[in-house]
Amino acid sequence: MIDAATLAQMNGEQVCPPHAGPAWREAFEYGFDMSLIEETLTKTPEQRLDEHQQKLNFILEIEATRSRKN
Amino acid sequence: MAQDDKALIARLQQHGVEFVLIGGVCGVMHGAGLVTYDLDVCCRLGSVNLRRLEAALKDLNPWHRLTPNKLPFALTDELCSCLKNLYLQTDLGKLDCLGDVKGVGDYDAVLKRSVEFEMSFGRIRMLDLDTLIAAKEAVGREKDKYAVRLLRVLAEKRRGSN
Repeated sequence: MIDAATLAQMNGEQVCPPHAGPAWREAFEYGFDMSLIEETLTKTPEQRLDEHQQKLNFILEIEATRSRKN
Repeated sequence: MAQDDKALIARLQQHGVEFVLIGGVCGVMHGAGLVTYDLDVCCRLGSVNLRRLEAALKDLNPWHRLTPNKLPFALTDELCSCLKNLYLQTDLGKLDCLGDVKGVGDYDAVLKRSVEFEMSFGRIRMLDLDTLIAAKEAVGREKDKYAVRLLRVLAEKRRGSN
């Protein structure tokens, strides 16, 4: 049987942890997916840059495809 | 058009260009999950460093991307003495070289407030997190305010872990 908290997490409900600072709370309330920030913090600066490059490549590919269709 | 920030950074580093990463890519490397379409650096815009920059980009067909007739990036002694910023398009993407950073100061001021990181191709410098926040607050566009929200979280977490 899955507990309510785990099920909530599976369903994407994020809870502001009690020890979160004011900047964290503000960003959370603004609507940022804080799990992405927490995950990024586990990486080195170079790994973050590599991941960013992958995202950027994808976006640029979509834009190029859109331009070709137009 | 391709944008390969890591390759551009490696080029600058390998040619001994004096630069500090600023802007969106700096934010990404600090941990902000944003997407940015160009590479911003602050660099010393004196003749020696400009010539190093020119050498770093020589085979990348660099041109001044804000000129309507796509002027090639080609230095002269006169140009070296009057450039304040450089906005370039290259085969590896957009590279914006600023002589100073709003809210921080000239290259020497930026250098004092930078941190060094080891990358796979060598050591590079980027603005420290608090200074990056100050710089983005000084510019104050909506997208900068958006980024500052994220950067403040990173600064807060860093203080907490210290």
